[in-house]
Amino acid sequence: MTAERIAIDGAGVVTPIGQDLDAFWSALVTGTSGISAIERFPVADLRVGRGGEIKKLARVTAGRPPRCRATQLLVSAAEELRARSNLDSLDPARVAVVLGTALGGVEEGEQALAEDARPKRLRSALYDAPAHGLSRRLGCRGAVITVSTACASGATALAVGADLLRSGEVDAVVAGGYDILCRFVMRGFNALRALTRDEIRPFDRRRSGLLLGEAAALVLLRRSSDVAAPQLGSLLGYGSASDAFHISAPDPEGRGLERATRTALAQAGVTGGEIDFVSAHGTATPLNDRVETAALKRVLEERAQAIPVNSIKASLGHTMGAAAVLEALMCLLASRHGLIPPTLNLEEPDSGCDLDYVQGSARATRPRLSLSTSLGFGGCNAALVLEGVA
Amino acid sequence: MKRAPRVRGLGFLSAWGRGTAALPDDARVAAAGRRVLSLGRLEREGERFRRATREGLLALTAVELALDDAGAGRDAIAGPETALIYVTAGAYAASNRRFIEGRGGSIRFAETAPAVVPAEVSIELGVAGPYAIFIGGAPATLRAIWHGALLLDAGVCERALVLAVEIFEECADLVARMGRRTGIPLVEAASCLWIEPGTGTLRIESAGRGVPSSAIHRRLGETLCCEPLAALDLWRRRGAAGPVELTGRWRGECARLVWTDPLPRERAA
Repeated sequence: MTAERIAIDGAGVVTPIGQDLDAFWSALVTGTSGISAIERFPVADLRVGRGGEIKKLARVTAGRPPRCRATQLLVSAAEELRARSNLDSLDPARVAVVLGTALGGVEEGEQALAEDARPKRLRSALYDAPAHGLSRRLGCRGAVITVSTACASGATALAVGADLLRSGEVDAVVAGGYDILCRFVMRGFNALRALTRDEIRPFDRRRSGLLLGEAAALVLLRRSSDVAAPQLGSLLGYGSASDAFHISAPDPEGRGLERATRTALAQAGVTGGEIDFVSAHGTATPLNDRVETAALKRVLEERAQAIPVNSIKASLGHTMGAAAVLEALMCLLASRHGLIPPTLNLEEPDSGCDLDYVQGSARATRPRLSLSTSLGFGGCNAALVLEGVA
Repeated sequence: MKRAPRVRGLGFLSAWGRGTAALPDDARVAAAGRRVLSLGRLEREGERFRRATREGLLALTAVELALDDAGAGRDAIAGPETALIYVTAGAYAASNRRFIEGRGGSIRFAETAPAVVPAEVSIELGVAGPYAIFIGGAPATLRAIWHGALLLDAGVCERALVLAVEIFEECADLVARMGRRTGIPLVEAASCLWIEPGTGTLRIESAGRGVPSSAIHRRLGETLCCEPLAALDLWRRRGAAGPVELTGRWRGECARLVWTDPLPRERAA
């Protein structure tokens, strides 16, 4: 069942630690934190009011900037993607847009209900509105698809984009993920008491929860046969599985994550033992990190403790729909630069988290094959297998 | 794709009743001036369902109708060999609105996520295979069928459920403000298509803007993502043979799915 590999031939990002790929990478390897007090909307009534907020969008977009912040982030990321790829030279009728999001344009709905329920704003509140907005901006005329598997959405988007290419329906896909910080999601995670007042400490014995972040991350997917040498690397495999356990909590045994990971490895045609690096979901909630560690140990078997693992959520916050795409890009950049970014704030690994976590500073090693895992509300689990280029 | 899937079962319910046989000849006339036709809340026994969302309960009923249609029990779809692919254009809007406005204090944040709807199904019925959620109208449903077919073709699972749900009642005033003036009523619906490996072919294409409205739109009313599954059900109930073409339009995008031999031989006959 090995699938045709898909080339990742360009990228663009907007994150709290950098508003282009180079700045994003530099901040990751130097251990920069993007966490700060949220300023864009009121948070005084919330237990936790910090997160990975993008204070000011650096790129000025061509034409009238979209009002919807989610679309703003996407358009900004797309400008870098256009500059770094040959997207503009492709036939627009053969280019699709596939985006993953946990929240879509929900802030537009929030504002519409609070202020003026204007028709345009209400239409923008639907979860697929930003994808259509981006597609119009780019002039793409292929399919426009939005997927929303909660915090695994970015991984699902890359997989669906890869399927469009393998089927021959289009020649290129602008794929990625996004989500923004807004009162809706801050209120929600506060209500769940999932946010920490401390630092985000993935896999640390003192970890006490996550913080959220906002970001957009886009890649240009192509069939490998259409690209002489992909800029960043290749997507080799994808797997997904449902926990069938609980609405918001992961299965304590991590069986869904294990199945998703095994499927991704099989699609990639590699074994767990061949993986050089794991980008973990690593939210720093007490349950997630323990569950994820246990599932990885079962899948990676005897090599589990010899494979470096990191989580970049302490640097960015949990960027929800963008997370899996940013983590995939981090894997590919690690291959390019021969460095694995550290897991920020990990100082004392939990006894139940006993893998080879990269902590302290970036580790000099050049992974070729990477595994990236994602989990989300509703028991969504997803895994990607990626191959970088040195 | 080497082999397209075949239909094992299809469940459909709408505010008109259970099954497509309940559809009127003309939704506009049958609605008698009502803009939204609600399915209400399909209550179930058990503490777990007390806090379940209305859309989650509708989803569960749709899957059970698909099981009935296939003559199968719950065990037939339990486990990791069943994929679940959920589609909606806006069923999450009701939960989102309730959370934003702080009404219905029991609603938990997690339940505002579209993922909560298939999660109700997966938890209740033990469906633990591959998973995807497409957001959009009828073209998204065609994509979901296609995605399920790809999973089957790749051998990742043995069966796939394509689940579509739309509700409108809680946001009827907002929809009205959006300037919808077609006169076609918004009709709540939920549907589940159960597919398994088959022998035909399946092709999906973006169809520009030239695709006409589905012929059943007039009978069904506006059900957004549920419409292609209603169209498939009506097609098979006519005893039609040969290929079926399903179309969908949403936000100016059109898609077409051409599916040869979607029915098992004994049922097509």
